[in-house]
Amino acid sequence: MQSSRNKLSALWQTLFGDPIRAFGVVSLLLLLSLAIAPAKNHFSEWRHYQNQYLTLIRGRGDAVTLRRHFQGGIQQIWLPEIGAVDRCTTCHVGLKEASLVDVSTQPFRRHPAIPHTAEQFGCVMCHRGQGAATTVEEAHSSTLAWEQPILPARYIESSCGQCHRAPLEGTPQLNSGRNLLAQSGCVHCHTIKLPDGSAMKGTDDPPSLLHIADKTTRDWIYAWLKDPQAYAVTAKMPNFKLRDADARDISAFLIANSSPLPGDASPVAAGQKAPDPTAGASLYGESFCASCHAVQNAAGNVVGGNLGPELTRIGTKVKPEWLQAWVRNPRAYDPPTEMPHYRFSDQQIAVLTGFLLNKTDADLLANVHLDPATPEQIAHGKTLVTEYGCASCHQIVGIKKPENFAPELTRIGSKPVTQLVFLPGMAHNLPDYIAAKIRQPRSFGSALKMPQYTFTTAQIDALATALLSLTDRTQNLPAALTVPSVPASDYQPAGKAGQLITDLACFSCHRINGRGGDMAPDLTWEGSSVQRQWLFEFLKNPNTLRPALIRRMPKFNLSDADINVFTDYIMTVYQTPAFDRDSMPSGGYPPAQVEQGKQLFYSKYACQSCHIVDTKMDKGYIGPTLTQVGSRLTAAWMYQWMKNPQALRPGTIEPNRNMSDDDARALTAYLASLKGSGKREAKQ
Amino acid sequence: MAKTIENYFDQMRGTRVWRSVFRGGTGSSTLRRSLAIQQNVFLHLFSTKVRRRMLSFSATWYLGTLTLGTFLILVSTGIFLMLYYHPSVPQAYADTKDLQFVVSSGLFLRNLHRWSAHAMVFLVFAHMFKVFYRGAYRPPREFNWVIGVILLLITLLLSYTGYLLPWDQLAYWAITVGSNIAKAVPVLGNNVHFLMLGGNLVNANALLRFYVLHCMILPLTAIVFIAIHFWRIRKDGGLYSHQSEPKTLAAKAVPAPAGAVAKGAQ
Repeated sequence: MQSSRNKLSALWQTLFGDPIRAFGVVSLLLLLSLAIAPAKNHFSEWRHYQNQYLTLIRGRGDAVTLRRHFQGGIQQIWLPEIGAVDRCTTCHVGLKEASLVDVSTQPFRRHPAIPHTAEQFGCVMCHRGQGAATTVEEAHSSTLAWEQPILPARYIESSCGQCHRAPLEGTPQLNSGRNLLAQSGCVHCHTIKLPDGSAMKGTDDPPSLLHIADKTTRDWIYAWLKDPQAYAVTAKMPNFKLRDADARDISAFLIANSSPLPGDASPVAAGQKAPDPTAGASLYGESFCASCHAVQNAAGNVVGGNLGPELTRIGTKVKPEWLQAWVRNPRAYDPPTEMPHYRFSDQQIAVLTGFLLNKTDADLLANVHLDPATPEQIAHGKTLVTEYGCASCHQIVGIKKPENFAPELTRIGSKPVTQLVFLPGMAHNLPDYIAAKIRQPRSFGSALKMPQYTFTTAQIDALATALLSLTDRTQNLPAALTVPSVPASDYQPAGKAGQLITDLACFSCHRINGRGGDMAPDLTWEGSSVQRQWLFEFLKNPNTLRPALIRRMPKFNLSDADINVFTDYIMTVYQTPAFDRDSMPSGGYPPAQVEQGKQLFYSKYACQSCHIVDTKMDKGYIGPTLTQVGSRLTAAWMYQWMKNPQALRPGTIEPNRNMSDDDARALTAYLASLKGSGKREAKQ
Repeated sequence: MAKTIENYFDQMRGTRVWRSVFRGGTGSSTLRRSLAIQQNVFLHLFSTKVRRRMLSFSATWYLGTLTLGTFLILVSTGIFLMLYYHPSVPQAYADTKDLQFVVSSGLFLRNLHRWSAHAMVFLVFAHMFKVFYRGAYRPPREFNWVIGVILLLITLLLSYTGYLLPWDQLAYWAITVGSNIAKAVPVLGNNVHFLMLGGNLVNANALLRFYVLHCMILPLTAIVFIAIHFWRIRKDGGLYSHQSEPKTLAAKAVPAPAGAVAKGAQ
């Protein structure tokens, strides 16, 4: 102890013993500490990485080229227009070197091919992080002085969505997320303003509850409110986790509040029983109800389309007289419905509804025992309906659609982390927060109103991607950089044909002039494409064109007069301006040309790999069957189609074979000669 | 060796250029030495004579000198920082980021400025406490105490105006809160607030105003008051020393029981 103290005091004497010596020592210390700053500068991270890179490329065959491309010192991409100062390329030196394909260590990996160059938009616009930084920690992570960390790779498509409003081929996750946002009812409660000033619209169609008492019972409403997915696994309505008493009061209010449908509400088709128990199933099949409606089979798989509601337990839900009225004419109950107005006979209605009403599930309502509603319960139900924002989605008598019911999500992708309340143990970043919030909203507080959805992990990632694309930049982007979406068309055909198109809900499946669904072919140029006689026949009795397709055109039981109106309209109005339908004859080609076309069909172009002409020999199931294409399509359309299919139908999988005019003409001659089998001829 | 250097200096002091600049002549007489002090614009701020006792660390803890030291560091680093900084809304924060990431030793420069600023505030307070507890504010030094208080206020204002310049969240809200405090002044509050910020909110005008205050008005005012402060130290009889005060001297002159006086004087 004593000796160490002595040593210390000796040291003190040596260093600071007399003033001059002390001055010298202190000056030396100051000099050393001042040297730290330039030393830190010299031994900086980015210099280290650049030296590593030079070592990496030294032994390579392409070292000379890489060395010539390499520029030392701090590099930056400066784009004043979008406010980018990105120095990422200081360390990520090999980004543009295509020959570094074998290098997988960061920061030297080359960038995967994308449609933009780094000089166009910099790095941060897509990857986030702090572009100005020159250290790994500062550039990639969230720090006190910079919130925005690097965006995890699985949400990277969200960045494309900042500029591109329309769906892109390379961004399936973003596209599906945006569709989910519109389909799942998110935008009914949460406002999402688009950069063009409009608000995002929902593409789902939550049913109106104006006349709910006509349609179903209070017991069913109660069971549905408690757990929508117990009634139908594909139910879009989320679970609000209501208490028993609350579900009881809401159901009481909805029934009491419902107004009876004006007009002849109960024209019950005579209660005839179906003559044949299988008749209902076959009518259901013939009418292609399954194109839109699904049913869960015994194995638990949901089979059918998702345009309309699932019908697995429909018999437990609807009242028979309502179902009959609905099948007779759905537009009477719900004018904008996507369901077509089939022209069923009374007999058919009885058969079909009998079949549907048999689809019951006794378990669903087994435990529902509701006493008659009291006025207090009804009043409380009304309060709850207002509180939970039911009117955001559903039309309810006497309750207005609330404005800004839930937080606006227009800039959710730029929300500062400091404004988020995380759960204990959660990673503190925005993507994880959004995903967790969608996965289990009520885990953030039992008083929250957001209901529980049944999204899969992939769907949650897609939704998070779509939400992350809604950033400040999305809103502030210079107009020159935005790629707007094709505005939703409100095309509405005029006249009698227009009424028919609405009544048959053609737009539910077909797209015409930019409006409508994508389940069935685009009909914008249908008049140039098909022959009138075929169209008439097809509408009278549709048959499938593609053997591999499950979804098919339903038979609407139209009258000949209606079909004529319809056909005339299509033939006159839906024509392409690119060519004249009648510019080529539909037959009478020289046999030699027909034969040449046949040779081309089977040898040079091998069309039979996808198409069937000879039903015995050909095995092509991908494209439409061509056995009677000569009586279906116009020759001009066939010719133009073979010249450039994508010009007539963008996105078709038919390849563009770059045919010569002669080849295309010969093939047209051959196809025009395929007038169909004798069976069909005989029927005409 | 030492002799040669001394001769060389003497020779230099004798040249016409030297004498035209420093006026004083050569020689080491008491007169020459005091003239060398009195006739120099910087040195004449100091006393011509200082008691040896007052140069020891325990007498002042060098607090005033250290404060001056930090002030000089702040002025020099501040001038360098001004070379990299634009007092404009879109650039201010980016410029502080550039200082951190791309300016050679920029982070050192900024940190030195920042820590010296903190040190100066601390040292000014420490200096005042030392002066207060030693009783050095008493006549004839009461005016210099007032100058000291003014210098304290200027130091605090420099610190406050400098706080806004990085233009980050901390700065923005600190100035918002601070200016709202000024707003709470009765009657004039709103006008003071408007005058401070050049508007009703902390924005581009406030940034520019604070920049001008921080880099121009306040430092120049501080320099003027520092000069007065130093000059008054000399005029008020040099650094305060209890032993040389008239009262102490008078008390010493009176014969009294030795122990009591000695203890009282400590």
